[in-house]
Amino acid sequence: MRVAHVIGRVTMSIQDPSFKGGRWLMVNPLDAGQFNDACGKAPSVTSQPTLVAYDNLGAGDGDIVGIVEGAEATAPFDFPIPIDAITVAIFDSLSYEPPLSKPSNRRTQ
Amino acid sequence: MFLAQVVGHAVSSHSHPSLKGHKMMLCQALDPVLGLIGAPMVAIDLFGAGLHSTVMVSTDGLGARHIVHDHKSPVRNFIQGVVD
Repeated sequence: MRVAHVIGRVTMSIQDPSFKGGRWLMVNPLDAGQFNDACGKAPSVTSQPTLVAYDNLGAGDGDIVGIVEGAEATAPFDFPIPIDAITVAIFDSLSYEPPLSKPSNRRTQ
Repeated sequence: MFLAQVVGHAVSSHSHPSLKGHKMMLCQALDPVLGLIGAPMVAIDLFGAGLHSTVMVSTDGLGARHIVHDHKSPVRNFIQGVVD
């Protein structure tokens, strides 16, 4: 699951019949440095490619969401649906604390 | 499967029902010399992996669906073990 920022919506008038009633969001994946502040103030758009994700949760502009890409995106559906990204969580808070040094490959006793 | 380091956690009050009750940890992939690379991703934690521990993360959706006992879950990443 990647963490992304909702930056817009997509509407389509001609689409696959299985998409009927679906909501689509434009989401921009976050960079590591944006994680701590992301839920408080809107993060800036990163250089990572923006995705279109199917939305079942009701996420809106500015929300920080978890998106799953690939075949697993279709798992919640009872019928075949040609999607490959879906929102699965709206985050309330993210805590990002990278270590100051590299991890050792041996646990200290 | 890839090696990653736990660099934080995520809290979500609105998520897919299969994710309820599972801890969501931020895991950042490690390069061959154990440096952090890329952006962190969210993985489900079953073992209580602590902050900054080195873990093995699976990207297998079928395995993840077994873990959360929901065959219609979209979850994909979970922590398989803590590396000594």
